[in-house]
Amino acid sequence: MRLEKKRGKRLGFVVLLIIAVYNLSPLVWMFLNSFKSDAEIQQYPPTWWPEQPTVSAYHEIWTEGNFIAYFTNSAVVATTTTICSAFIGLLAGYGFSRFGFRGRGLLLTLFLASQMLPGVLLVGPYFKVLAFTGLYDTRVGLIIALTTITLPFSTWMLKGYIDSIPKELDEAALIDGCSRWGALFRAVLPSVAPGLVATIIYAFLLAWGDLLWALCLTTTDSMYTIPVALARLVGEFRIQWAQIMAGASIALIPPLIIYAFLTRLLVRGLTAGSVK
Amino acid sequence: MKDRYQGYVFVSPGVLLFVLVLGFPVITTLFNSFCPVWSAGIAKFTLQNYAKVTQDWVPRKVLGNTLVFVSCTVLLHFLLGLTVASALDTEVRGKRVFRVLAILPWAVPDSIAGLIWRFLYDPLHGSVNKILLTLHLIETPIEWLSNPALSLMSVIFADVWRGYPFVMIILLAGLQSIPPELYEAAEVDGASPVQRYLRITLPQLKTMIIIALALDTVWQFRMFGLVYTLTGGGPGRQTETLPLLVYKQYFNYFNFEYAAAVAVTSAVMMLMLSLPYLWIMLRRE
Repeated sequence: MRLEKKRGKRLGFVVLLIIAVYNLSPLVWMFLNSFKSDAEIQQYPPTWWPEQPTVSAYHEIWTEGNFIAYFTNSAVVATTTTICSAFIGLLAGYGFSRFGFRGRGLLLTLFLASQMLPGVLLVGPYFKVLAFTGLYDTRVGLIIALTTITLPFSTWMLKGYIDSIPKELDEAALIDGCSRWGALFRAVLPSVAPGLVATIIYAFLLAWGDLLWALCLTTTDSMYTIPVALARLVGEFRIQWAQIMAGASIALIPPLIIYAFLTRLLVRGLTAGSVK
Repeated sequence: MKDRYQGYVFVSPGVLLFVLVLGFPVITTLFNSFCPVWSAGIAKFTLQNYAKVTQDWVPRKVLGNTLVFVSCTVLLHFLLGLTVASALDTEVRGKRVFRVLAILPWAVPDSIAGLIWRFLYDPLHGSVNKILLTLHLIETPIEWLSNPALSLMSVIFADVWRGYPFVMIILLAGLQSIPPELYEAAEVDGASPVQRYLRITLPQLKTMIIIALALDTVWQFRMFGLVYTLTGGGPGRQTETLPLLVYKQYFNYFNFEYAAAVAVTSAVMMLMLSLPYLWIMLRRE
């Protein structure tokens, strides 16, 4: 029995090692190539390591194009979307969890089912609404869209967490003279922190990486987000791979930071919240 | 009594956004897909767009691509996810580091993953050919994305890299919630590791497997960013999937009503595929 367990452990270690290499190598290749010069990246056969490492690709992408605008757009859109989605989702989650009202079941079902809709079904008519209201090609239009499509997940996730907190906690706060809002923010909020973290990660990653909505709802170069800008660079006649890999490396910094710190919380959040 | 109205107050911002941004487009799309012809203020509906969807070769080809893409990626996500989750569930050395690394590709947005893999697949400058040539597995560079016979498979493999960690996390959560007493009891009864896996692990994981498969199927079905940046649907229509078809018809060719019919058809398919997930979640509620 002992031997068997030891063998199992060793097998597990080998599997995980192979997986680690598989998972990492595309990112390593991207990162290494972002330090090649334009001439070196065009070389055949390609080199493994940059022979003359240079930051020229980063320099070019920051100074020659509109990359600062793309980065700012991505950051503003993703951060605002995350805050709005978490806040509105918290309110809705609390409402659904603590109050019985007409249409509650129907609304919850619709929220859940809407997550199964393809974005392309929604983006066309929404584009026309934005064009009509003058919000087309603005960050606000994009933020409203992304907030709404992340909202069903936020609501269900936070509702799941609030459900697991005893109602007596709210009631005690109400007796102490808190309003409903006070009960939510003072008594309930501290206990739903892991759910809030999971919501924040989900909304931020979705908004930061979104291509479809930003592609369809923006048209001026200075309104592009990073994914849209990079996707357009790839469409050009001569693809500047070093610059694109530099752009991709920059685009990965925020999500990777979030992951490095929050992986454990994420695993716990997903376990305890939506998928129990 | 007063409480009931407060419930409305709390959910109203969310519901308002939901109705305006999701509800309105859904109804408009549904309405347009039936190609309304206005006469004297009354709309007459026809099925001509749906007829086009079922009769043309393009939507059929695209639906075929989508089904191949979805079934292959979901199956590979599941197999790879289950293997890695099982390995992470043991008392292996360096477990924490491995867990972070195992989730890593999921942190990469799908549109960015498409770009990275487009470069990896580049016949002359990419690393895939470089590795195969160095190992003498191939003689000449392979056109992974522009060879019509290979392109869909290449897209599938790129998607597997980025998509399996999500399935893995859900399965890992499921594995970790299996009470260890079950295994101890089986061990006392003399069950072999294979028997324990088949009789305890898989049955206990059942709900999580259904959730993971249903969610993953829906997400793969509507995958847009990765395919768009990797191939844009080409060569020809070899890797075009339903979301790309709808996008192109709407924003490139302005066939709003035809795009609506394709979108509604695919939404109906997706809702049907997600029924097991919806059922599990709502039954819990």
